[in-house]
Amino acid sequence: MVALDVWVKAGATQEPDSWSGMAHFLEHMIFKGTDSIAPVEFDQIIENRGGVTNAATSHDYAHFYVTAAASYLAETTQPLAELLLRASIPDAEFDRERDVVLEEIRQAQDDPDWLGFQAMMETVYQCHPYRRSVLGTEELLMSLTPHEMRCFHRSHYQPENMTVVIVGGVEEAQAMDLTSQAFGEFSDRWECPKLVAVAEPPLVEMRRQELYLPRLEQARLMMAWTGPGVAQLESACGLDLLSVLLADGRSSRLVRELREELQLVQAIESSFSLQRESSLFTISAVLAAEDVERVESVICDRLGQLQSELVSEVELLRCKRLLCNDFAFSIETPAQLAGLYGYYNTIAKAELAMSYPTKIQAFEPLDIQRLARQYLSPKHYAAVVLKPI
Amino acid sequence: MKNEIHRTVLDNGIVVLAAENPAADIIAARIFLRAGSRWVQPEQAGLCHLLSAVMTKGTDRLSSLEIAERVESVGARLGTDSTSDYFLVSLKTVSADFTDILELASELMRSPNFPEAEVELERRIAISAIRSQKEQPFSIAFEQLRQTMYQDHPYAFSTLGTEDTMSNLTRTDLQQFHKTYFRPDNVVISIAGRISTADAIALVDRIFGDWKAPATPLPTLSLPTIIPHPKSALKPQETQQSVVMLGYLAPAVKDTGYAALKLLNSYLGNGLSSRLFVELREKRGLAYDVSSMYATRLDAAQFVVYMGTAPENTQTAFDGLRTEVDRLANSQLDDEELQACKNKILGQYALGKQTNSQIAQVVGWYETLGLGIKFDEEFQAEIAQVTASEARDAARKFFVEPYVSLVGPEAAITEFGLAAVC
Repeated sequence: MVALDVWVKAGATQEPDSWSGMAHFLEHMIFKGTDSIAPVEFDQIIENRGGVTNAATSHDYAHFYVTAAASYLAETTQPLAELLLRASIPDAEFDRERDVVLEEIRQAQDDPDWLGFQAMMETVYQCHPYRRSVLGTEELLMSLTPHEMRCFHRSHYQPENMTVVIVGGVEEAQAMDLTSQAFGEFSDRWECPKLVAVAEPPLVEMRRQELYLPRLEQARLMMAWTGPGVAQLESACGLDLLSVLLADGRSSRLVRELREELQLVQAIESSFSLQRESSLFTISAVLAAEDVERVESVICDRLGQLQSELVSEVELLRCKRLLCNDFAFSIETPAQLAGLYGYYNTIAKAELAMSYPTKIQAFEPLDIQRLARQYLSPKHYAAVVLKPI
Repeated sequence: MKNEIHRTVLDNGIVVLAAENPAADIIAARIFLRAGSRWVQPEQAGLCHLLSAVMTKGTDRLSSLEIAERVESVGARLGTDSTSDYFLVSLKTVSADFTDILELASELMRSPNFPEAEVELERRIAISAIRSQKEQPFSIAFEQLRQTMYQDHPYAFSTLGTEDTMSNLTRTDLQQFHKTYFRPDNVVISIAGRISTADAIALVDRIFGDWKAPATPLPTLSLPTIIPHPKSALKPQETQQSVVMLGYLAPAVKDTGYAALKLLNSYLGNGLSSRLFVELREKRGLAYDVSSMYATRLDAAQFVVYMGTAPENTQTAFDGLRTEVDRLANSQLDDEELQACKNKILGQYALGKQTNSQIAQVVGWYETLGLGIKFDEEFQAEIAQVTASEARDAARKFFVEPYVSLVGPEAAITEFGLAAVC
């Protein structure tokens, strides 16, 4: 089994505002082929050989992947490179595939957690393109043209923006040869409108949004803070530890207090999302509408406690072990490992990926307190509340 | 699977399956009981879910917090779950911690004490979860379909049950079910990872070997006959999309036609080159999410094709899905299509057996369903042997008249109702 991953720095953050949705729509159109590959042909090549293929777009990247038997590596690398480098973005497929993206948007809009997440991103990021939906909006999508998309493609799908990752039962020399040959000839560069990036100012106030949704059964409380980007990887690891400390497992602080003891939530989670710039730290709860205020208040108290009291060695050790084990558990397959290297190389360098466990182990209670004080203010954060109408 | 599976039966009836996989410092165990929602009366639907939630909250010796701390302090994962056909305890650890967590799992299974306060809490949370499911149009559509297809067979219910049935469950119900079904002669323990098969078997014997099976036999299960009577069910919801589902009663895993329909399921809905994806999404732009499902079940399963689409396309979506299913009954796949599909399903199948958890799961599941450890090979051989005419015959037999489940804005689905009558 071999995983073949291509990561392109052509995520939603590369879009100027009027082209919001372009990166994701392009990811769809890549599969519509080139002058020498017809639509669906690539999918057939892969799947007829017992492989799987798919793609995903986020803020910092577009990610294309294939997993297949090692004996098929040559037969899969060549066409994948062809699609990525020489996408023709056929006019005839453009409108129809836009319909597919519109259906994707409609489906997302029927999901309250997706709506809540989008509202949260808009609230926590005032300037940074992370605030925009990767899917774009119907209005903006309808104004995009195939020519504009080709522009975006020829501008961003260039060698300095690409990482090819191959993991599995294949010789390194062979993999390198195949890749150099297949990824040899890129399209001519076109100039296209670029996003003028504005740095996100620090969050120094309270920001709130409350949404009333039809068909909602349980309320949601989502709290968010911005955190260090990949350039400060050590600090980012610390925030990972904090998310586990707060809400991973029944012995974690918030699960224990809010779910088990006070019994005020159906579920509570915390997560840290490492991004290239300005990562995202969230605490989310599913709960009854009448308990939102009290739960938010308890969470703020616990965050205050993290600033004033050191966590115990025992508690910190638990978190370290959880994260280090989860790290090991999450790279068992070639595809998982390829994804890890590809992501890290896209936002920084692949080598950093494996430094994670060492960085986690190095943390002391004082470091945790310092990070809590720096990043998790109980007074300044973004809060989105979803309530039933 | 390249790792050889060793199968042993302990004196008390526990089946132990072990596969050594030294690749990573990980050991995964999946412990199965033949005690899923299929064994639960409709009035008690949700019992296994509640049992799975409360089982980790206390034993004769340990409190909920002590249990949580024991697992989490070593960074291990231990969970319980229930499905229609089985109950599951799963654990994953680095090799050094495996013995301790397996011992804990044994304690949870053998001497849970179901603290009343925990039963209360988990029941309330389960009711919230049941309500939350109604937020997802796909879940509503699938729930509706399941109810119409299965009537009073236990498969009609979500594993969570309903608000009514969950509200009425008591601690005594949990104790009773546990006493009846949690016995060693009803258990399969499947282990994969950095542990020799000999050590794995010895460890299970040491920890579980003194668990005695009761003298009385397991109760026999009598299930209602499922009477086919296809019909449509509509649920108006003010949503952005309509969800359209067509369902057909289909073979259980041991019945004739299982392999042929697995193949047709892959043909229709698996991957970016699958028939539904190409015809309805790529060529017509009708959907983002369009696919098929055919689960492996002890009793009659559901073969389902579905799509989420703009409300004004509800009728078109239904016609599109129906046409594709009927086509399989009326014409044969050509040799190329058939071979391509076999390659696809067998390739995907192999990808589902990579991690230790996946290996432990697949191997243990087949044993629990009574298929034996050779089923992995047999299934692959059967798939390879399905002929185009067998596939068409299976389609002809099972894809006659669909059960239909629609969820969407009132105007869009009411229109459909009228069209269906005419």
